[in-house]
Amino acid sequence: MSKTLKVLSLLMVAAMVFAACAPAAAPAPVAPAAPVATEAPAEAPEAAATEAPAEEAAPAVGEVVFFSTQFVPVEEQEKFRAILQQGGFDVTGTEEGPLLDVLLAGAQSGVSEIDVIGALHGTFPPLQQADAMMNMIDIAEDLMADRELTAAYLETGLLGTEDFLYYVPWMQATYIMAATVDALEYLPEGADVNALTWEQLGAWCQTLAEETGGPKCGLPHAGLFHRFLQGYLWPSWTGGMVTTFKNDEAAAMLAWVRDSLWPYINPQSINYAFMQEPLLSGEVWVAFDHTARLLDAFNSDPEKFVAFPAPSGPYGLGFMPVIVGLGIPAHARNPAGGEALIEFLTRPEVQGMILKELGFFPVVAGVDTTDLPAGVAIEAEAVAAQSNAPNALPALLPVGLGARGGEINQIFRNAFDRVVLNGEDIRTVLDEEGANLQTLMNETGAPCWAPDPPSDGPCQVQ
Amino acid sequence: MSATGNLASAPVRASDEMLRVRQRALMRHRINQGLVYLLAIAISLWVLVPIWFIASMALTTPATVRTFPKGVLPFIPFSFDTMQFFLNSQGIIPGLINSIVVAIITLVLSTIIAAPAGYAISRYIFPGRDFYRLSILAVRAFPVVILAIPLAVVFINVGIYDSVYSLALMHTALTLPTTVLVIGSVFASIPYELEEAAQVYGCTPLQAFRAVVLPLVAPGIAASAIFTFVMSWNEVFAASILTVRNRTLPAQVLSTLNQSSEPYQFAGAFFMMIPALIFIFIIRRYLFNMWGQISK
Repeated sequence: MSKTLKVLSLLMVAAMVFAACAPAAAPAPVAPAAPVATEAPAEAPEAAATEAPAEEAAPAVGEVVFFSTQFVPVEEQEKFRAILQQGGFDVTGTEEGPLLDVLLAGAQSGVSEIDVIGALHGTFPPLQQADAMMNMIDIAEDLMADRELTAAYLETGLLGTEDFLYYVPWMQATYIMAATVDALEYLPEGADVNALTWEQLGAWCQTLAEETGGPKCGLPHAGLFHRFLQGYLWPSWTGGMVTTFKNDEAAAMLAWVRDSLWPYINPQSINYAFMQEPLLSGEVWVAFDHTARLLDAFNSDPEKFVAFPAPSGPYGLGFMPVIVGLGIPAHARNPAGGEALIEFLTRPEVQGMILKELGFFPVVAGVDTTDLPAGVAIEAEAVAAQSNAPNALPALLPVGLGARGGEINQIFRNAFDRVVLNGEDIRTVLDEEGANLQTLMNETGAPCWAPDPPSDGPCQVQ
Repeated sequence: MSATGNLASAPVRASDEMLRVRQRALMRHRINQGLVYLLAIAISLWVLVPIWFIASMALTTPATVRTFPKGVLPFIPFSFDTMQFFLNSQGIIPGLINSIVVAIITLVLSTIIAAPAGYAISRYIFPGRDFYRLSILAVRAFPVVILAIPLAVVFINVGIYDSVYSLALMHTALTLPTTVLVIGSVFASIPYELEEAAQVYGCTPLQAFRAVVLPLVAPGIAASAIFTFVMSWNEVFAASILTVRNRTLPAQVLSTLNQSSEPYQFAGAFFMMIPALIFIFIIRRYLFNMWGQISK
């Protein structure tokens, strides 16, 4: 009886799998029966039209299919497209997930429809694992003949290998603070806005909340908030990101955030994804966010806003540089065109245009920074002040987690949400989330990255 | 005499009472009706206010959208700037055309395949019918997310990757299960006796189908076809995996809108909403028809 049941259930599973796969294939033979007969003539010329020019023009530049996870918002995309068109190129904006899927499919089938990708540093490790990218080292060497690429970012582009360059650095950004000029009046006694400590920020937010009729500090909890935790709070209070995730200093930091900072943060913060909008509307007077997500505020009203570095903690000024790279998929149809596009985008004058119009900072020396728009100039000063601060402590985006890069963000967010929003016990939360973090490190085998000291084996949470 | 007197007075007393009863009933009826209307108005507002809000925000200046608190009065100042910028941005119009082409091919293919399948399921009793009916749904049980990479690999290897027509095949596969089941229940709602009667009067089975059944099921099939259209129109995931240069509108704009500032989110939402609204206005009678028949 049980045997027949087993056989039956096996058959059923097999049938379901078959049923799931069959219809996807079935329409193909059915299709020629009716509609395709009329569509076939229409399809042929169009396919020829799109394919032919690409093949003919391949020796020159040809059509370069460029996918970027940056400059996806409509306004940014149009500005970026205008810059690209000067070199005869175009771009398609995409999210990271679908882009990875398309590239991994390309790697498996040996044909990539995409010629160049522009993506964050963190997008490349999963592609490294799937062996989906081309070695860019020769291209980078050719480029170095007449321009100077930031050496530190070429180093990160190697993704820990000796001589396999996964991307040519394209541009950089970071996260800074912004405030309205009015808010400066409420600064605590003796505080320098360009060298704030976390306690001073807390006191500032408290004064603002008490004297202006409501909390006026804002954080992008619905946006890139995990970077605030990974790159700013943890490094500046504990000196590390992963190794010090659950130590006593981290516990003290969370207690401070819960008791002395969050009560004076605008409760709408849990809905903010871009801080430029609440800043412009006046809901928020002091905010932290990505430079590109503050730019609109500085550009719309440069007189009203100031930019300044993030606050410092006991271990210095933790901050997170964001590196964007350009890579060519392993089986690209038009690698020569891809190379031409990369050459174009790393020209100092093009980098200058991107800085002026889009607020991403150059990675090439010799960019003209004299005639910047007000908003960009304001940000450039704060970015320089932040990275050149004597106690600066750069924290890199997570490296080596592969496709599981999103999980570390969730762990940091969970730790924050559980302690600060839900009021759970700090020690319990840090121990539990610390265990999750350790599991993630062990399973991916990722060694420590800055600001944690380098490790042989997987990074250890202490 | 007295009988007539009784008869005459009885109705008066009765009508007096009846009047009160009737008045009370009328009152209750009116209150009930008022409550029904109130509920209907509340539900309508629930749906209409966001649409109204999106429309008014899409058709005003970006500065107005940013003001806080936002104004209650819509369209002031009226401006087409955001919409125009959105419509002129790269890929919107080609994406719109691709979306329509994909949706129409999907609609035609899936109706052609699903109509006979639905008829067979509802009319013929064959071994494994129930299992077959269930297993059709299994297609929907596999998330496209899991199939994405293998699908893309197959499409690339077969040489039909990045084409509007092959995307339509994918959408057909995705919409078939629902279409087959919906059309099946549309056929099931037409009594087989009607066909038998037609055959008794001399029709061949084919004639009976064409002359009797087809006119009766046409609205239901039309509704399910348009339902298919809307499903294909809204599909994002397969569209963004299987196309690179020939993107459909949702694949083109969804990632864009997700990261755009509010004025463009409103403009995009408004633009994506219009076709759906037009469809619903056209098909609403058939739509009730379809659901009504399913519930039988």
